[in-house]
Amino acid sequence: MADQTTTQANDAAVVAGDTAAAGTIDAASGAGAAVAADGAAGDRPVKIVGIVCNWCSYAGADTAGTGRFKQPPNLRLIRVPCTGRVDPLFALKAFEKGADGVLISGCHPGDCHYSEGNYYARRKFELLERMIHHLGIPKERFRWTWVSASEGQRWQQVVTEFVAGVEKLGPREGRAL
Amino acid sequence: MSRQDHIREFAAQALADGRVDYFIGWKQGYNSSEVVPAFVKDPADVDQLIWTPLCHHNLVTFIKRNMPDPADAKIGLCVKGCDSRTLVALLQEELVDKEKLYVVGVPCDGIVDRRKLEKEFADELVDIAFPERGRVVVTTGKGETREFAQDDVLLDVCGRCRYPNALYADDVAGPLEAEPDREESGPDWSDIADFENLSDDEKQAALERVYATCIRCFACVHVCPVCVCWDKCVNRSREPELVAQKVGAKENLLFQMIHMFHVAGRCTSCGACDRACPVEIPLYLLHRKMNKEIYDMFGFEPGTKLDEKPVFQLFDLATDHFGD
Repeated sequence: MADQTTTQANDAAVVAGDTAAAGTIDAASGAGAAVAADGAAGDRPVKIVGIVCNWCSYAGADTAGTGRFKQPPNLRLIRVPCTGRVDPLFALKAFEKGADGVLISGCHPGDCHYSEGNYYARRKFELLERMIHHLGIPKERFRWTWVSASEGQRWQQVVTEFVAGVEKLGPREGRAL
Repeated sequence: MSRQDHIREFAAQALADGRVDYFIGWKQGYNSSEVVPAFVKDPADVDQLIWTPLCHHNLVTFIKRNMPDPADAKIGLCVKGCDSRTLVALLQEELVDKEKLYVVGVPCDGIVDRRKLEKEFADELVDIAFPERGRVVVTTGKGETREFAQDDVLLDVCGRCRYPNALYADDVAGPLEAEPDREESGPDWSDIADFENLSDDEKQAALERVYATCIRCFACVHVCPVCVCWDKCVNRSREPELVAQKVGAKENLLFQMIHMFHVAGRCTSCGACDRACPVEIPLYLLHRKMNKEIYDMFGFEPGTKLDEKPVFQLFDLATDHFGD
């Protein structure tokens, strides 16, 4: 069981790595970065931080990768043991460091690997979402949702929608946070 | 008998009986326009304790951490209605030991905002007197004297007070103040409506302007009665460096947001952080917004019921539908 999970995770990393290398990183180190440095938002691809739980959404992303579902390459995944481990600081820190969007995803309520981690987490995320909007960061730039390990297609849909929403707003020129 | 006399009597009694090792109240500062916290150890010294509408300090701050020396000291302290809510919040999470406390509740009809008064005068204030209820007479160093109505110079937080009497106290100093009808009307959040109605860009610009002035002195964290893990504070951790050492609007706002989330469910928006801020950042409004959302999500007012658990330490399968 443990070995199988590790293998799946590695596969996901490879898939994610391939797409990211082809898309964001090259573009960011090239023309896009130069434009951004000049002060204009430019055409640099948006950078999105995804915080996903090990047991559901990370595996769901893996399923999407194995199934060869096409996804935008703008997402960088951070794997955490459980959404219950996600401190609101993570999302805020990502915005402070210049992320254009933050996506948090974990197991559906009732499916938590640790029984109840996401029950606590969703209360925090709801407050986090409301406070992020209070700071003047638009709704489209922050989303939290549930994707299970088998929902490769749902993962593809969530990511595609979210990235489209952020791309519509363009790269973030945040002034405060 | 005035409330002040009651406080002195309770303090003297508790000290003489050995019920407490020391008693925390308020005393006059360097002149009669300022009040500072007082720590009384000897029953003979209780005459320095005072009660005026200048006693804004939330004395619960002094018991929030294991500061008592010796560690098992029994402490007496005065609490106003708002202070008692922060005490209840600490008791809900068992962050202080009820057995070692002696609490004197002080019914309060509003605390005067000294900063509002300071802004009225070019000169420094040397005396603020309260000849009778509702009247405030201010004298400056150059001898200028002006009178204000107390309601005009109250703290913003006092204008919306829902709990004028202590929610948890062993003794009460004098008759209770009139309570507003809490069943009929919920909390009044009108003070944050101005900011809420701004556009996203305007909000960002306003926050940048305000938070750029923060000097990261951490006075807000030190004075906060419910910010309890101060000795292991994430904001001052250098390894790992979670909050950058750089002082800029972004870093400062991140620091304040973290403080806000760490006290979520305990914070009663008492406004202590706001009053402690040397550059007058309206931190209180950020915390008010958080409490508004918590009230909206759970109907929860922090620190009002002793047998309640803070909302972020539990969940309810029947009523939580967030993210569905």
